Amino acid sequence: MDLQGQNGLLSTYREGFRARGAAAWLIAATLVSFYVVLYWEDRLSGALGGRPLTWLAESLHLRNRWYLYGFLYCVAMSAGGVYYLRRHGNSRYNRTRIAVNVGVQVVFGFTLPFVMPLFEAPEFYFSYFWPLKYDYLYPQTLTQLPTYLSVYAVVGGLVAAPAMAYFFGKRWYCSWVCGCGGLANTFGDPYRHLTSKSTASWRFERVSIHSVLVIAIVTTALVGADFFWGESSPRLHAAATGGPLSVKELYGFVVGSILAGVIGTGLYPLLGPRSWCRNFCPMAALLGLVQKLGRYRITVKPDMCISCGNCSTYCEMGIDVRSYAQRNESFTRASCVGCGMCAHMCPRGVLKLENSSAPRQRAARASLPIVSG
Amino acid sequence: MHVVIIGNGVAGMEAALQIRAEAPDAGVTLVSEESDHFFSRTALMWVHSGQMSHRDIEPLERDAYVRHGFTRVRGRVVSLDAASKRLTLGDGETLDYDKLLIACGSRPRPGPWRGSDLRGVGHFVTLQDLEWYERELHGGPSHAGRPPRPDQHVPSSRPDSPYLPREAAAEARGSLSKRPAVIGGGLIGIEAVEVAHGKGLHPHFFIRDEWFWPMAIDATEAAWITERMRAHGVHVHLQHEVEHLEGDAQGNLTAVVTNHGRFEVDCAVVAIGVVPNTQWLADSGVALDAGGGVVVDAQQRTNVPDVFAAGDCASVRWSTGAQRPEQLWYTGRDQGRVAARAMLGQTGHAATYRRPTWYNSAKLMDIEYTTVGFVNMNQPGEREWFFEERGAVRSTTRIVHTDTGVIGFNLLGRRWDHSVLMEFIDAGRSLAYVLDHLHEAAFDTELVPPLVLPREAR
Ligand SMILES: Cc1cc2nc3c(=O)[nH]c(=O)nc-3n(C[C@H](O)[C@H](O)[C@H](O)COP(=O)(O)OP(=O)(O)OC[C@H]3O[C@@H](n4cnc5c(N)ncnc54)[C@H](O)[C@@H]3O)c2cc1C
Ligand code: SF4
Repeated sequence: MDLQGQNGLLSTYREGFRARGAAAWLIAATLVSFYVVLYWEDRLSGALGGRPLTWLAESLHLRNRWYLYGFLYCVAMSAGGVYYLRRHGNSRYNRTRIAVNVGVQVVFGFTLPFVMPLFEAPEFYFSYFWPLKYDYLYPQTLTQLPTYLSVYAVVGGLVAAPAMAYFFGKRWYCSWVCGCGGLANTFGDPYRHLTSKSTASWRFERVSIHSVLVIAIVTTALVGADFFWGESSPRLHAAATGGPLSVKELYGFVVGSILAGVIGTGLYPLLGPRSWCRNFCPMAALLGLVQKLGRYRITVKPDMCISCGNCSTYCEMGIDVRSYAQRNESFTRASCVGCGMCAHMCPRGVLKLENSSAPRQRAARASLPIVSG
Repeated sequence: MHVVIIGNGVAGMEAALQIRAEAPDAGVTLVSEESDHFFSRTALMWVHSGQMSHRDIEPLERDAYVRHGFTRVRGRVVSLDAASKRLTLGDGETLDYDKLLIACGSRPRPGPWRGSDLRGVGHFVTLQDLEWYERELHGGPSHAGRPPRPDQHVPSSRPDSPYLPREAAAEARGSLSKRPAVIGGGLIGIEAVEVAHGKGLHPHFFIRDEWFWPMAIDATEAAWITERMRAHGVHVHLQHEVEHLEGDAQGNLTAVVTNHGRFEVDCAVVAIGVVPNTQWLADSGVALDAGGGVVVDAQQRTNVPDVFAAGDCASVRWSTGAQRPEQLWYTGRDQGRVAARAMLGQTGHAATYRRPTWYNSAKLMDIEYTTVGFVNMNQPGEREWFFEERGAVRSTTRIVHTDTGVIGFNLLGRRWDHSVLMEFIDAGRSLAYVLDHLHEAAFDTELVPPLVLPREAR
């Protein structure tokens, strides 16, 4: 077995469930319904005649339906991980990355938060940081947590995560640690080619993801202001945290539930697995800006690209890698999560992910000037 | 000025883009018989397996013609009247030009054997070949569909065109191919084998030579590739010379007969090379080489004024002095750019085609392959340094050198940056220097352990 390179052909478009066939729509409908019930079970209990997920969770001796979700999530991720390894597992980068990601999620995303309350510690997710876990910088949260966890949340979100992104690219988080990314790369792997590569989708992404980042910062600031001055200013309190139309609640509803869950995961079989990460995740936006300034890049071997398009097709972030490769242009894109699939798929070994401050091209071959289409 | 370009492959399309970049007002007409859109011929195998869609193998967005103001003519050019600067299409229409670029590519070399015209025998070079081979093995295209207007051109085509739809034996028989065969041990052959294997079949692979691809690969290297193919269930038949093909009463292929026996098959891809697609130029006065390639100079000019050629159909001067086509993606691209500048009247470096030291890469089933410089060329005084690695990574490293330094590399199983290896050759580095600095050319993906050359191997 070789340690790099796609091993054999993929039959992606010959399977309906991966090519937006009827099966794909059915899977999407099922996932969307599941998320709707998960988030709004209480409100829907009348129509549903009960709380099916809570009932299921309790009969499995799990504390509430969120632990049931965590459990299902781990099952989906592990099963998807096996699927992924069967397709791409010959590559050492892929194999290591997926093993670490699944391991981190099972331990820090499910087991520890379940076990910690048994020892009178708060339920805490070591694998999430602000601004993805937006409440980890709310003073309300920080003052309730034990000091060591508050320090972890603040230093992790504001210092460590961006610093790591500077040296290794945002991939250290988005493709090795994160739960959303982990689910996308395992359970969502059958759909990675579906991410749109159109110019229009790129324009949308740039506006939407940075807007969510700004909204996340504003929300955090308002909720923080409410903590300090809310009592003296009822209007601030109402706008920040009081009631269902406050920014805190709206952000949770729109970003946390609809964009991350219902659309982000429910529509995997139609939009590809990273539509949340690409278009909406404030953490991805923040780390992406750091990545642009940092050391991570995709190095292109000059004049070897045959423009086949494997790299672009299998880019889950919708980056047209081929357009850089055929121009001999090494590059860093803010959106790149460093999953490594372009380098893995490339049949001519043109691409290489690197953390390097060395010059981009070792030897500029006396190549002719190039125009792009 | 009105430039007409015959062919919207990589050579023709690059030329068109280059003209547009440098002459925004020039009229550009692209004539193509094969397809509406520029696509990567190198990627046919992935469309077949379903790994990519037709849209995925098109490097430009589909509105490229509109955006760049190119006129699209879908049809077959059947003759050139150089004196009146006029082309005639198959349907009788004519097209006048100020400058003409012939970028009409290559066509598959037809099988010379009796039975080569049976139903179930085809090639793997054009979009129409792909459609035929998909129907034989899968019964049709994948869920990613077909390219738009695949049959639009047929009325203006000619029976000798390589872009005609082909009948599938699978349809005549009423059952998909179970025992496909591939004839011809080269790069296109191994891709045709891989797609059959990708479908879960065990294709027969008939190779005339002692081993696979002797032009580029030596016996030891080929033994590894053959071993890998056999491990995947491919029936590799070495030193089999095809004698004829047999069919049934309905005209469907039933067997390949070689000098070693008769093999029952139900589909055969003939992949014994490609030839310049220039038969239609026979009476035009444009000079062709012995193989049919359009002879060009370093500005891609033919012997006829205002007529240029680039890409697979152009016969260029090699660094070895030979005169023949270079049938490669990146050379076609570079030639197209040079031709564009020459058509715009430029001279000098940017309008001169110079092929650098030879290099290429490929993937042979799942084995990565890079070659640079002179290998298997029997250069005077050449010696070989060879190392086989069998650890976490399996690889072979073959370095050809003479008294004046290293002249060639043949590398299997790992990824290499050919541009660094070219520097070694161009600088005349010694073998000892190259062995000390080989790691600078390593291009393996992260976490792959580096190649370590043990002291005793040096
Ligand atoms: C299966 C396969 C795999 C390959 N893999 C590689 C690889 O890995 N690396 C590599 O370097 N090269 C590879 N090649 C070779 C490479 O694809 C070619 O060198 C390259 O595509 C040539 O481009 P071109 O523009 O010269 O011609 P083409 O791409 O052949 O384009 C010619 C066009 O001309 C048009 N045309 C021809 N005749 C007429 C006519 N009479 N009237 C109107 N239009 C006409 C047709 O529409 C056609 O589209 C591969 C080829 C094949 C078939
Ligand atoms: S970089 Fe590799 S995968 Fe991408 S288009 Fe070029 S050859 Fe194909």
